[in-house]
Amino acid sequence: MAGLLLSSTEKVFIIHGVQDDYRSDGRSNIDYRPMELETDVVSHASGSSRLRLANTDILVGVKTEIDVPKPDKPGLGKLEFFVDCSANATPEFEGRGGEQLANSISNMLERAYHSPHAFNLKQLCILEGKQCWKLYIDILILECGGNLCDAVSLGVKAALFNTRIPFVKAVLMDGGNVDLQLSDDPYDCKYLDVASGPLLVTLCKIGDKCVVDPSAEEESCSVVSLVVGITGNPKFYVTAEEAKNMPDVELKCSMIGMNGPGSVAPKTFKDAINQGMVAAKCLDKALGQALLRERQENTSFKKHSYGFLK
Amino acid sequence: MPGPDLLSSQGLRLDGRRPNELRRIRCKLGVFTQPDGSAYLEQGNTKVLAAVYGPHQASKSKQLTEGVVVNCQYSMATFSTGERKNRPRGDRKSQEMSLHLRQALAAAIKTELYPRSQIDIYVEVLQADGSAYCACVNVATLALIDAGIPLRAYACACSSSMAWKGGEPEPLVDVSHVEEAAGGVCLTVASLPSTESIALLEMSHRLHMDYFDVVLSRAMQGCRDIEVILDKAVREHLVEGWTKQDVVTI
Amino acid sequence: MPLDYRRFNGPEDSVSYKIYTKDYIKPYEERYNELLDENGLRKDGRALNEARSMFARTDMVSQAKGSSYVEFKKTKVVCSVFDPREIPHQNEFSQLGQIFCEVKFAPFSCPRKRRPHAPDNEERALSVALRQALEPTVCRHLFPNYQIDVFIYILEHDGSCLAAAINAAGLALADAAVPMYDIITSCSLAVIGDKVFVDPTEAEEHVAKTSLEDSNINHGIVTMSFLSELKQISDFTQVGSMDVECITKAMEVLEVECEKLVPNFQRIMVMNVIHNFEQRKRLDDEAKEREEALNKKMEEWKQLMSAG
Repeated sequence: MAGLLLSSTEKVFIIHGVQDDYRSDGRSNIDYRPMELETDVVSHASGSSRLRLANTDILVGVKTEIDVPKPDKPGLGKLEFFVDCSANATPEFEGRGGEQLANSISNMLERAYHSPHAFNLKQLCILEGKQCWKLYIDILILECGGNLCDAVSLGVKAALFNTRIPFVKAVLMDGGNVDLQLSDDPYDCKYLDVASGPLLVTLCKIGDKCVVDPSAEEESCSVVSLVVGITGNPKFYVTAEEAKNMPDVELKCSMIGMNGPGSVAPKTFKDAINQGMVAAKCLDKALGQALLRERQENTSFKKHSYGFLK
Repeated sequence: MPGPDLLSSQGLRLDGRRPNELRRIRCKLGVFTQPDGSAYLEQGNTKVLAAVYGPHQASKSKQLTEGVVVNCQYSMATFSTGERKNRPRGDRKSQEMSLHLRQALAAAIKTELYPRSQIDIYVEVLQADGSAYCACVNVATLALIDAGIPLRAYACACSSSMAWKGGEPEPLVDVSHVEEAAGGVCLTVASLPSTESIALLEMSHRLHMDYFDVVLSRAMQGCRDIEVILDKAVREHLVEGWTKQDVVTI
Repeated sequence: MPLDYRRFNGPEDSVSYKIYTKDYIKPYEERYNELLDENGLRKDGRALNEARSMFARTDMVSQAKGSSYVEFKKTKVVCSVFDPREIPHQNEFSQLGQIFCEVKFAPFSCPRKRRPHAPDNEERALSVALRQALEPTVCRHLFPNYQIDVFIYILEHDGSCLAAAINAAGLALADAAVPMYDIITSCSLAVIGDKVFVDPTEAEEHVAKTSLEDSNINHGIVTMSFLSELKQISDFTQVGSMDVECITKAMEVLEVECEKLVPNFQRIMVMNVIHNFEQRKRLDDEAKEREEALNKKMEEWKQLMSAG
């Protein structure tokens, strides 16, 4: 994003490539670029992940706090998304420059996670009507190389998958007041159920076709892109034997939004949603496998942490 | 001086280090591709990232005819501290830190080489576990080197504190968060070790004049130690960079 | 959060007493059952697929270049559009003109809570959605490096406020004589299970947004803005959880609903032009009359002068 310059001939090259389903980096229109994912990278957070999708670098940290539930939703916890566009990504983000982009991304995530089918807030309840967990999901954008939304949603789901909520040991009631006791043992905790968490898929309209995972160059060739949030399939987040006994879940859209100054025809729109569904399914499967592998490594022996030192 | 008990009877610190021992420093240059220079540094559990953009033309209002404008921004990730921060930057503490960073780095950069230009240095604290400022200066130096900006010398920063061992004063180098929170003295020095000059000196709490020299010299020794580590990292990075490039061209 | 120190603010954590009333903490089922009566009609007597009747007019705000007022029963929105002006604090020249949108809720507009004075998240999201909807329809290449300000003030919120805001903004832009490619109309619907509520009220939206965790039914709200002549979707926002079939169906319903609004808009605009013409004519006539009277007076004076 920093100082991207494309001539009109280069743009034409990209557009023609997309038309023939052969993009400038050799991918087809439904291919993603390779990604690197690592969980448990920030020790101050309850759960964290770092995702690198080509040049896009995202760090997500989840922090937990105890809060009082809303009176009309006594049995539900709270989620709060906060996106911070670091000036590391581009000098334009210095000071409050990245705020607009940050707001729009956090808004999209909030909408995508709103439905109980996407994320069940009941699991954050401690004592109905009195106490609940509030998850602060803080997203740090360290470098932008196109396709921020998808990368952020993948990072968020991975960080939530990695989040451990401590068990509340004892609940003492004295005079109607509640006293919570958390155990000191860091392993005395539970994982969250985020298997159905939504993934955002950006479909960038270039010419008459839509591509997934646009690079920064491709993004600058397009006037409008569609962001579709699609819920995950719990089957991908358990071992193969357990998955056999699980009922098939229909994937649902939990969020749709449009970005950019252009407009689309209804038919293109429908095709794009279907294309997004297919892409999200593959992405979800790959993410599930990677996260399961990570969790096994984490529990079996002390994993070597790479962080940014790789 | 009734200070908190920072040394055990065996003379070891709360995290098991000796008084003159630094935390493990691991670093890497060139972590990102888009900025002109970038670096990552871990000092124990303190983890920081830096990106450098420039030198590029400064805006009309800022530019100086005699030298380059060094623009620093210090920000902390909201999840970097034990308790969640509400804002990553813009609060008083990070503004002060930005100013201090600029002071230390402007002393190291050969500013006279780029009149009417600007260098942007953005530092992001991913995890804070004491001496975050020192780690920021060190990482910013690495990022500046990665960007190929001419420096007078390595700018290194180190902190030191003070404890008592059997009635004798014993300065501690590279203060961690627990030691900071325990409420002892904390002296932060940013220096150019190879020229033996100090770029920034800051101290909190009170310290008797008699012990100041000991504490300061311990911090300066820390800076010199850090310089060796940084220098090694830079050399390794350069060697690696050359070999890597060869592989690509073949 | 920046606090507004010019006004008296309540304590930071204060909440309305209303959120503890029985009416507010009703369970989901009760709310759901209240939406429809035994004949399958909605609370306000509409059928499921029936939109609310619209009242719209232009020329609401005399200071603004163009303005409009749109009312869907209890959803009331005022929009004003101001002359293009140079984009403030901009370094680079921008080839295309910009549209600056700001949506603001009146403090008393919402049934559930008082709106704070500082813009909150929802208002910011609405502003972004509004800009997204308007950008494709305005001929932005005609005013490079300039921006048009569009301000929306929601006087009363009773569901589908984004749709109402887009409609009002479209009318106000036309009233301000901003060149546009097409008339923009917008409509929203709420889905609860197999029922589709066209043009939902706030109560219906509230039920549609939440759902029971264990049930797997479709629920959510869809808002679409449409350029009817070009057959293009300029904005589409969905929240909730729906399968693809449901979204496709919603799209078709919304397309029809959006097209239904177009003749009304055309009539308003034509009436507006006629009205302006008449006014111009009347002003011209008046001016002529005055001139004649003046001429007559002059003649009289001239005669008096020559006589005297």
